[in-house]
Amino acid sequence: MAQAKSIDELSAVHKQVASVLQSKFGRKFAESSTFRGELTYVVAPEDWHAVLEFCRDTEELQFDRLDCLCGNHFPEREEAPFEVIANLVSIPNTTRVRVKTRLSEDQSLPTVTDLWPSAGFDERETWEMYGIGFEGNPNLTRLLTVPDFNGFPLRKDFPLQGTVGGRIRWDFKGEI
Amino acid sequence: MEEGSAFVGIADPRDPREIRDLSAAFKRPSPIELPQTLEGDEEHVPGVLTTTLDKIINFGATVSYWPLLFGLACCAIEMMACAGPRWDISRFGMEAMRASPRQADGMIVAGWVSLKMAPRVIRLYEQIPDPKWVLVMGSCATSGNIWDTYNIVQGVDALLPVDVYVPGCPPRPEALWQGLEMIRKRIREGKHGYDGMHTIPIRAAMGE
Repeated sequence: MAQAKSIDELSAVHKQVASVLQSKFGRKFAESSTFRGELTYVVAPEDWHAVLEFCRDTEELQFDRLDCLCGNHFPEREEAPFEVIANLVSIPNTTRVRVKTRLSEDQSLPTVTDLWPSAGFDERETWEMYGIGFEGNPNLTRLLTVPDFNGFPLRKDFPLQGTVGGRIRWDFKGEI
Repeated sequence: MEEGSAFVGIADPRDPREIRDLSAAFKRPSPIELPQTLEGDEEHVPGVLTTTLDKIINFGATVSYWPLLFGLACCAIEMMACAGPRWDISRFGMEAMRASPRQADGMIVAGWVSLKMAPRVIRLYEQIPDPKWVLVMGSCATSGNIWDTYNIVQGVDALLPVDVYVPGCPPRPEALWQGLEMIRKRIREGKHGYDGMHTIPIRAAMGE
């Protein structure tokens, strides 16, 4: 009886993806890790657009779909508390890869809407919830919160409880 | 057969040659013999029930309360169960959940209302023709529940006049059913949530 495959073992496609990415950006990756057979790379904000463009356009990778782009906040980190995570899917190769970057408070990222137009909404939400700017995004406006909202609700220092500024803050004039 | 009486007949499908006489079935019924009024009692005319137009309309609305088809969150799942075969509010004429506010008699606010959703809730409420009754379903719509946060309206009664609150997270279909029974009672009694108000609470808060 063949031994069951380990859950942490990388698949052949993942190994190919890892070798291609390592040979191209080997020294530029700040960190690379595998967990449960998934690849994760941490890149510098300057390389963000170049890495994602390489992932999309290279013949061996063909990550043609941006599954999701989101943010994260680690207040315990002193210099780079914010993180932006892009999950890529390759439909031809049926594989995934995760690319992260770490940012400081006032740092912004170049947009990837030129690579995947669907990144527009994801970047918009990341900006709205974490205050991470995306240079070149065509429509960086509030989507889920009210137009005069002040603050970034998914930051860890945002108050969990309490309606900010009273019971109903939004002026409904002109809306109803 | 009498001379001069109309002959009404129908062909028997089994035998087309045989014509049956059905004139008895088409005979005019004899007028109902009303009992004589009591001597000196001219107010009570037997066979006539007096009522007001409001009462008869409210009676009709009691058995045809059509809520707006409007689910906001998980409470809507219980509302769907209530409309399904097990609890079956169609027994009381409530199964026709109208997708247009102009055809509805009221709304069930089933779930939390975010600040972005609030103008739409108000707009839907105002488009429902009078008289209308509002049932607030679940703790979130009643008081905000655990969502004491930046984006949730802390109680729909800050926006709309509310008739019935149904607590629960989410309430069981039986609880919603009881709430709808209370709505029916209010319809029968001709009471509304907006009685005594000049305008709805949010417009009053805005100074309109």
